[in-house]
Amino acid sequence: MANPLIAGKMFVIDQSRCIGCEACVQACEECGTHRGQSLIHLEFIDRGATTQTAPMVCMHCEDPTCAEVCPADAIKQNEDGVVQSALKPRCIGCSNCVLACPFGVPKYFALPDQMMKCDMCYDRSSVGLKPMCASVCPSQALWFGTPEEFDATRRGELVFEFRFGNQLVPTKLATVVDHRDDGPIDVLAEAPKRWQDDPFGLEEDAP
Amino acid sequence: MTVAVRSRSTVDRRAAGFGVAAVVVLLVLVYLGSGGLRWFDAALAGYLIGVLMAVFAVVYRYLVWLQRPPTARLNRRGWEAFRRKGRVGHNAVGLAGLVATNLLAQGFIRHRSAARWAAHQLVFWGCLLAAAVTFPLTFGWVHFESVGQEASQYQAYLFGVGTGTFSATSALGFVIFHLLNISAFLVIAGVLVFLYRRTRDPGALAVERSGDFVALAGLFAVSITGLFLTASTLWLQGRYYSFLTNLHALTVILGLLYIPFGKLFHIFQRPANLGVHFYRDEGASGPQQRCRECDRPYASAIQVADLEDVLPMVGFDFRDGAGGNWQEVCPSCRRKLVTAAQVARVGGFG
Amino acid sequence: MAKPPLTEEELIARYGPHLNETPPGGWNAGVEADREVNTHCCFCGQQCGIRLKVKDNEVVGFEPWYEFPFNEGKLCPKGVKRYLQGGHPDRLLEPLERDGAAPGGFRTVSWDHALDRVVAEIRRIQRTHGNDSFAMLSGVSLTNEKSYLVGKFARLGLQTANLDYNGRLCMVSAGVANKKALGMDRAANPWSDIPLADVVFVAGANVAECAPITTSYIWRARDRGAKLIVADPRVTPLARTADLFLGLRPGTDSALMTTILHVLVANDWLDHGFIDDHTVGFDEAAAAVADCTPEWGSGITGVPADRIVEAARLWGTSATGILLHARGIEHHTKGVENVLSCINLGLATGKYGKPGCGVSTITGQGNGQGGREQGHKCDQLPGNRDITNPEHRAAVAEVWGCDVEEIPGKGLSAEEIVEAIHAGEVKGLLSICFNPVVSLPDTAFTAEALDRLEFYGVIDFFLSESAQHADVVLPGSLHEEDEGTSTSVEGRAIKINAAIDPPGNARRDWEILLEIARRLGRGSYFEFGSTHEIFDEMRAASRGGTADYYGMTWERIEAEHGIFWPCPTEGHPGTPRLYEGGVFAHPDGKARFHSVRYRPPAEVVDDEYPIWLTTGRVVSQYLSGTQTRRIGPLVEQYPEPLCEIHPRLATRLGVETGDIVRVTSRRGSMTLPARVVESIRPDTVFIPYHWPGRQAANQLTNRALDPMSKIPESKVSAVRVEKAEGHVEVADRRVTTLEKLGRR
Repeated sequence: MANPLIAGKMFVIDQSRCIGCEACVQACEECGTHRGQSLIHLEFIDRGATTQTAPMVCMHCEDPTCAEVCPADAIKQNEDGVVQSALKPRCIGCSNCVLACPFGVPKYFALPDQMMKCDMCYDRSSVGLKPMCASVCPSQALWFGTPEEFDATRRGELVFEFRFGNQLVPTKLATVVDHRDDGPIDVLAEAPKRWQDDPFGLEEDAP
Repeated sequence: MTVAVRSRSTVDRRAAGFGVAAVVVLLVLVYLGSGGLRWFDAALAGYLIGVLMAVFAVVYRYLVWLQRPPTARLNRRGWEAFRRKGRVGHNAVGLAGLVATNLLAQGFIRHRSAARWAAHQLVFWGCLLAAAVTFPLTFGWVHFESVGQEASQYQAYLFGVGTGTFSATSALGFVIFHLLNISAFLVIAGVLVFLYRRTRDPGALAVERSGDFVALAGLFAVSITGLFLTASTLWLQGRYYSFLTNLHALTVILGLLYIPFGKLFHIFQRPANLGVHFYRDEGASGPQQRCRECDRPYASAIQVADLEDVLPMVGFDFRDGAGGNWQEVCPSCRRKLVTAAQVARVGGFG
Repeated sequence: MAKPPLTEEELIARYGPHLNETPPGGWNAGVEADREVNTHCCFCGQQCGIRLKVKDNEVVGFEPWYEFPFNEGKLCPKGVKRYLQGGHPDRLLEPLERDGAAPGGFRTVSWDHALDRVVAEIRRIQRTHGNDSFAMLSGVSLTNEKSYLVGKFARLGLQTANLDYNGRLCMVSAGVANKKALGMDRAANPWSDIPLADVVFVAGANVAECAPITTSYIWRARDRGAKLIVADPRVTPLARTADLFLGLRPGTDSALMTTILHVLVANDWLDHGFIDDHTVGFDEAAAAVADCTPEWGSGITGVPADRIVEAARLWGTSATGILLHARGIEHHTKGVENVLSCINLGLATGKYGKPGCGVSTITGQGNGQGGREQGHKCDQLPGNRDITNPEHRAAVAEVWGCDVEEIPGKGLSAEEIVEAIHAGEVKGLLSICFNPVVSLPDTAFTAEALDRLEFYGVIDFFLSESAQHADVVLPGSLHEEDEGTSTSVEGRAIKINAAIDPPGNARRDWEILLEIARRLGRGSYFEFGSTHEIFDEMRAASRGGTADYYGMTWERIEAEHGIFWPCPTEGHPGTPRLYEGGVFAHPDGKARFHSVRYRPPAEVVDDEYPIWLTTGRVVSQYLSGTQTRRIGPLVEQYPEPLCEIHPRLATRLGVETGDIVRVTSRRGSMTLPARVVESIRPDTVFIPYHWPGRQAANQLTNRALDPMSKIPESKVSAVRVEKAEGHVEVADRRVTTLEKLGRR
């Protein structure tokens, strides 16, 4: 497992708590390392069916796919495991990283002709300050703190691995599950039935 | 830890061979261009050695870089796209345009910040000017001779062929003799703007890599020591001149040696961006990859296919048991499916 | 005749809303901010702490204020972008006077001219038609100091009884119910009680969008294992995560709550000790719900009976529990009864006055809590005092140094003032911080009323849609341009610090009011040199009232990160949790049960108007949007109202997402794009209300008032929905927004 800590703290994302308010999107562009550009992603999964939204920050893979497919050596990982935005002089704007990242994180910006991605607000996180998104997140779906704080205040268990078909991707960021023993987050797994599928009990009484 | 550049324990013989060949070619050109070393200035030999070492290292590193699977694939695709039947003429014109707007005018930087663009232009043109003056001088390709009895009249010789004459006291003469000073001022101005921005911006500082400051410091050192030489001549009656000459030579040679290993290597990498333009055009004119979840096109089919080829070469396998590949899901649906998968693992929330 | 001088389009072209996209000075301006000012967000009752970055008298950005205990740095998108209301091209910098011949419809005039005109019109109208023919409407985005000043200004400066405020469109139903049942109008709990609850019951509150930070408090409870019940006609983002969702029909809240009380009684899930010792009226209340069986309740509310029983079980059998409610149950002709039916549930199970227990309203507006206490409500005087109570009047008269008779009696409420204007009884109006054309139900009626005014003066920083009707507009101050206090949703008084001075010739609101009072010859009552002096008089005026601020000082408020009222004496720690030990604020210390019987909304669906309409908010907009519709990144988030329709109804209408639909009520009709979603009841449509003119949901809503709280019934009306011409792309705006890369 990758070391989850940066300046003694860790970043946990619990998408299920996301309320879709976009505070993170608005705050992201206020970050010092990428002022004026929002690098976090937030979108409805399927607004017709649910209000569930999908927030996505960089998961900071142990072995970042984006860096491996970069033809220009432009994506670097710091000693602490944080995967940085493309180096500006090197990035040649090919978008390999945008397309290859299993989480869909990097963004290609047409005018400067380069990729930028979430760097966990490195100016903040590297000195133990919460990244902008985790600072403002009203539901704390995006969370930054010490492992002790997490254990003391949050329920659920942490998972640092995702499965995309044959590929297991270990990440520096954690997400939350009820039971860690059920293994990595498998993006192709079948979803169970839940009350949200029929919130008004319409199926119960035959139409 | 640097992920992309893995240290390789073995020497790449092929790349080394090309590096040596490049050095030999340059030596031959120096010999021929300097009239069999007749016009070669021995005082500049140190610089020549520095250049030769830099040439070897640049070629070596460039070739090693080109062998990385994604780089090799892009390199090939870029040239294929450029040479595509019936498009060569169109592409050649496009290339000229791209060189002008992209490599020379560097408009893409302006979209990040006007100040950054201005600084980069200053450094870029300063370096280019300095290189255009010093490299031919070092190689003995250009030299000056005084004309007649008047010490103030000079003639410039290119490959031993005499060109125009000029007076050292004329405006033209002033400019020619001070070309390097002009370039030094351009570079220093650019470097100062860069430094000013960096040191006052905590955000930029945080993601600063040590190489960034080394490159700026190197450019500054080369330029300022060059100006010292002029200052010594003009105002100090040549005092400290030989020391300053050695100091300047040292900074220049160290700078040359730094190019292949540091941030300045982007000078040689950046032109790959032109290949990306052709690759992108080719992709846009061909079939588009549709997302297997939402059926919306999200990339060129050729690039997705290339990635599916390249990913296993760099150690990734995103195929699933059913014959699908995660790469064929668009980035937006990837994010949604990651969330859906996490939500399914949480009972109370979600 | 206060008609807008030009067409809406022409006025918008000149005065906006235009969109501010980037910080003053560009994105790099914040790098070298001169200073950071600890203050609060202005965009809802939670009043989150925020640090504003200031450079050259402009607010250029923000930093999270991690140390402020309520939100610990958290902010919603409005809070993040609140700073973009400064340095805005639409900002009013000079006094304006209506002039149809001038470009833009208004001409710039001097302060002297503008103030003289205002004063002359006040005098003329009051001389001709009586003092009460000149009314004032105010708003609770104002600080406590300014709210207090407005209350005093209207009563002693204008000498009119007709002062009311936009809090009338907020939580007044809760205020009335809390006073009736508990003796005091304040949320029963500090928010720190929420995480201590074993069950959290959210009724008619879209917490995720309207009080986003409260979400984290609810999560903290759930992290401890608490159950979450949500009652709402829509599966709001919070409801989506509920353990139990009660998707009730709009306007049936009291039926749901009385049914739950019925089930509590039937199963004896009651706290008899608490009922006996601390309450009166239980037997009558229980008798009133005797027939409210789950089957009956299910029939009225449309919620499956077993879910109602389960809600009662969770609420009745949990040792601790918090019930949070908001506009969803309060904006009704029976808003007070809805709240009383919730309070009954808290009293019946003893969930008051101890950690993790309470029934609390989530006040919506910035200073919705403080504003109403300081006496700029038609029936109240400072300290939450009653304007009809002789003792209360005497207490305030003493502080004000006036005869008791000088204080006018109870005036008309906000909607009633507009109706009186429409009827020609009120001829002149001064408004501050209120945009009735957008906020009040029945837009056409409100606009018509404003048109009939003989004189309309407005104090505001932007030319709101209501100000477009004005004869004189006085440029006032933004939240960050003045110093004072406000009182948050929790009843916590907090310090608002000025970050900058008003730009151009704009003036601080209180300075404007003082100047008008002086010119009216009433300056002797208004000799304040600063808002600090106003605060000192205010706390003295509140002394002995229920909302007692007497023990507070600005210094303490700032040092202690806020003080909860009542704080009756200097050194008093404040009162975070009310009713400790079951001691309520009625003279006998006991709470009152109220017998609530369900009655239908003022308007019900029929063959002609067969669909329920409910209105509400979106997270990126605040109130009538005067401020937030001028902030580019917020507008981008949700650019125009969409009509939420369930797929079943949509299929019947032949409508898909993006199709334009026409929604018609007895008051008016509007067209807007549909968004087909399973998150709303099939018999109900939803439209957010923040927009003006043809995009105003309030064109459709009903002016019917709750007889006690005078709150209009904006949460339920009957409409017809038809497919109209046209289609626009609305699918997943968030994606389009985010993929529009390189925009800055």
